[in-house]
Amino acid sequence: MKFDLHIHSCLSPCANLEMSPSEIVGRAVAAGMGGIALTDHQSARNTPAIAECARRAGLKCLYGLEVCTAEEVHTLALFDTTEQALAMTDWVYAAMPKRVNDPDVFGDQPVVTWDDDIVEMEWRILAMACRKPIPEVSAKCHELGGLYIAAHIDRSAFSVYSQLGGVPADGSFDAVELSRTADESVWLPKADGYAVTRSSDAHNLDDVARVWTEADVPEFTTSALKSAFAARATRISPRLTRF
Amino acid sequence: MTAEEVAAKVGGKVEVPAEGAVASSVYVGDLLSDVMGHAGEDCALVTIQNHLNTVAVCTLVGCSVVVICHSRPVPPDMAEGAAREGVAIVATPMSQYEAALALSELPPSKH
Repeated sequence: MKFDLHIHSCLSPCANLEMSPSEIVGRAVAAGMGGIALTDHQSARNTPAIAECARRAGLKCLYGLEVCTAEEVHTLALFDTTEQALAMTDWVYAAMPKRVNDPDVFGDQPVVTWDDDIVEMEWRILAMACRKPIPEVSAKCHELGGLYIAAHIDRSAFSVYSQLGGVPADGSFDAVELSRTADESVWLPKADGYAVTRSSDAHNLDDVARVWTEADVPEFTTSALKSAFAARATRISPRLTRF
Repeated sequence: MTAEEVAAKVGGKVEVPAEGAVASSVYVGDLLSDVMGHAGEDCALVTIQNHLNTVAVCTLVGCSVVVICHSRPVPPDMAEGAAREGVAIVATPMSQYEAALALSELPPSKH
């Protein structure tokens, strides 16, 4: 089964407004994905919408958020249900700065329905870090039954390598992610023995499922993925060398 | 101190000019959440964070001169955002400490 575990919707201030849940699901199905995860910055508020889109399309979906930790490291918290993802969101929100987003500076943050109506504009600045460090975010994610992945470890900003100099060896993460352009000959050795995923980190529709991870899992659930990660049984697609 | 004067002090170059961009104090920080919480208006921000979010944080705190250290490149989206928001960007080969020393005639930024 192929899957793309890192996709942003229009709720992320830096994502294109064309990233509606229905369009994302359509692209993922067309690309032959067996499953996807929605991971907006600091928020899972568009997961109920994509859950309905995925149900209608017969696509498996995990529900998550890309948590920017106190270290300003981007990390993925993935769950089987929107309820878990929204509980994680509430916990992250409580540790966010109480400042109001200026859409002209950061971008719009619409919470939408499955059929593309805007419910409201998220007022928090989702581009900001929360006050919780990686071990605490990991503990909360796991307490809620989620998977915790270090995002794009090869990036020169917002990664475990850029902020901490390497992958923490404390067992906080279940896997580490390579970005779509990461050279695996350089970065697989730097995964420090963790299971490796590659996902699109799509912020616009053309990037959805351009790269992917593959594993022989009986079902697309966090527990099945956790077993595949523990067995180091994931394979990743080739990197993109041109855009 | 204008952005051009800041660039001269740190032996660097104004990568993105901005009309009327001045610095009357200095803040050094590489964690943007720390910058947001502690940097004050009209400071020069000395940092290695060469990405668009830095410009956004400068807009929030009222900082209009960013000094990017270690000659890190200014990516196109950061340059465009800075030009749009009136934030000048200076690039220098210096480290953060060296740049701070070079700007030592300016006082520390107060939040």
